[in-house]
Amino acid sequence: MDAGRNSILSQCSKAMRADPLMAIAAGVLALLLCVGVLGPLLPIGDPTAIGIGPRLAPPSPAFPLGSDELGRSFLPRVVGGILVTFQVAATAVLLTGALGAVIGLIAAYYRGRVDTIVARLADALFAFPAIILGLMTASILGPGDLSVIVVIVAATLPLFIRVVRSVALSIASREFVTAAEVAGASPVRIMAMHMLPNLMGALIIQFTYALSLGMLIESGLSFLGLGTQPPYPSLGSLLQLGATYLAIAPWLVFAPGVTLALTILAINLLGDGLRHAIDPLPGRALK
Amino acid sequence: MSEFVVASDLAIEYRTPRGAVRALDGADLRVAAGASMGLVGESGSGKTTLGMAMGRLLPSNARRVAGSLSVGSQSLFDLDDDGVASLRRRQLGFVFQNPMSALNPTARIGKQIGWALERKANQREIHERLQQVGLRDVPRVAHAYPHELSGGMAQRVVIAMAIARRPRLLVADEPTASLDASVRGQILELIKSLQREIGATLILLSHELSMVARTCDVVGVMYGGRVVEAGPASIVFNAPLHPYTQALLKAAPGAERPGERLTAIPGMPPVLIAASVGCSFAARCHLADETCRRTRPEVRHLPDRQVACHHIEAASPRGGAGALDPS
Repeated sequence: MDAGRNSILSQCSKAMRADPLMAIAAGVLALLLCVGVLGPLLPIGDPTAIGIGPRLAPPSPAFPLGSDELGRSFLPRVVGGILVTFQVAATAVLLTGALGAVIGLIAAYYRGRVDTIVARLADALFAFPAIILGLMTASILGPGDLSVIVVIVAATLPLFIRVVRSVALSIASREFVTAAEVAGASPVRIMAMHMLPNLMGALIIQFTYALSLGMLIESGLSFLGLGTQPPYPSLGSLLQLGATYLAIAPWLVFAPGVTLALTILAINLLGDGLRHAIDPLPGRALK
Repeated sequence: MSEFVVASDLAIEYRTPRGAVRALDGADLRVAAGASMGLVGESGSGKTTLGMAMGRLLPSNARRVAGSLSVGSQSLFDLDDDGVASLRRRQLGFVFQNPMSALNPTARIGKQIGWALERKANQREIHERLQQVGLRDVPRVAHAYPHELSGGMAQRVVIAMAIARRPRLLVADEPTASLDASVRGQILELIKSLQREIGATLILLSHELSMVARTCDVVGVMYGGRVVEAGPASIVFNAPLHPYTQALLKAAPGAERPGERLTAIPGMPPVLIAASVGCSFAARCHLADETCRRTRPEVRHLPDRQVACHHIEAASPRGGAGALDPS
């Protein structure tokens, strides 16, 4: 039925009205994603086409963001980079969310030894810096999108496990879980039908934070040449190009840098807004 | 009559970071099939632990130290996980204190009733279940989320879920504690009439004597993790033998004459960390002597009740009740 969806929509619109910053952030994010997704359809050229223009040209009507070191127009490359960076990060974070939810639920439902082992493993994983993980993974799997995804999963999985586990622990002690146990529901059913829906809010909030972290990791690894490989653009590799030619073509660093910063800021603001909207105890949120 | 629930010398403790706490310290209880038994006692007397133990629903830090508990003819602590699951599914229904936390906040009422039934139910059956517990405007309730219901309505839904599979044992843990005074009576009536209708045994956990007196045929008084006195409600309430039962009745509002003061029981209930050496009520009892402090009173089975006290002759409200020879 539609009452539930309506109420979620109306809740969201209420939250947006109460928090205009969140509404702006959502708008900016939607705009950037639309541009990224529709990029191939826009009349700005193919990001991977062979360059025919002057090299490192300053912005001009023909090259709105200038051209890169191979004479390619920079605008389609930045637009393509948004999509690549977002796609890689979102894929990885969706994967992590599912994995983290399952592991966290199992740990919280069974408690005891399972819980202790999961919590310690999450702590151990959390202790690795993402860059070290990235260098390690890239040397094993070779640079590319796959190793970036693996690194993002490894870096954000502990966050998901911790959040899911702590929320699920409190849900597991609620009486409707006991009632379901009395009714003879299997553990899988209890976790899927009774516990998971009750921690979706926390999961969604964590998702936004993990997404911004994932985009940063993707850009960072691509900056180091371990992520998305040429000819495909990523915001990180475009930044690296800009940094290389900073002295002679300083404009190249602006477009990918501003885009990346704006996207991550928008995601974080959206996450904050969602947390305020969903968290029943805003007074206890960290200031 | 056959006995449906039998606890004998049941001792259960909770392991906490600061050491073990004994919630049940040798509880003896017999409940006849089809009876309605009220378990009364202060907070910490062990009544919830006993009630939850009947479904083996104790938290994971609880441990059985001694004794046995059987429901139906099955010894609960000898069952494997499948056995417990099947016992719960076929024989048990629980009504919890707070109906709001006993309902899943993310699912509609109708759906949750459907989950509680034995097999896939159609809408008509779900509506019948809601009608059975006296809810009006059933289609709207079935379509609502728990937070859209009042406490009384939610408790009716919880009751409908508890009796959905026609359990043989219905355990209600303070089912009216979180409700408005105006709906308490109705909810109790509902539990009682449904219990009769499906022929279940009812265990009602409560600290309200008047509620138990109105609802239950049999009563068990718990103190310090033991059942100190149990028998037909009319006998136990009108002629209490155990000093604790007597003190409890004097402290309870309801039967006092105008101008009469209620007598509070001095002291605090004990927190046991091991089996008590003597009678756990000795510190607060006006009849306590050295025997009470040194030796545990055994449960004595009298013709009309069971009681665990060294001084039941002296404590008898009728003076020397001759029929009450200790066995």
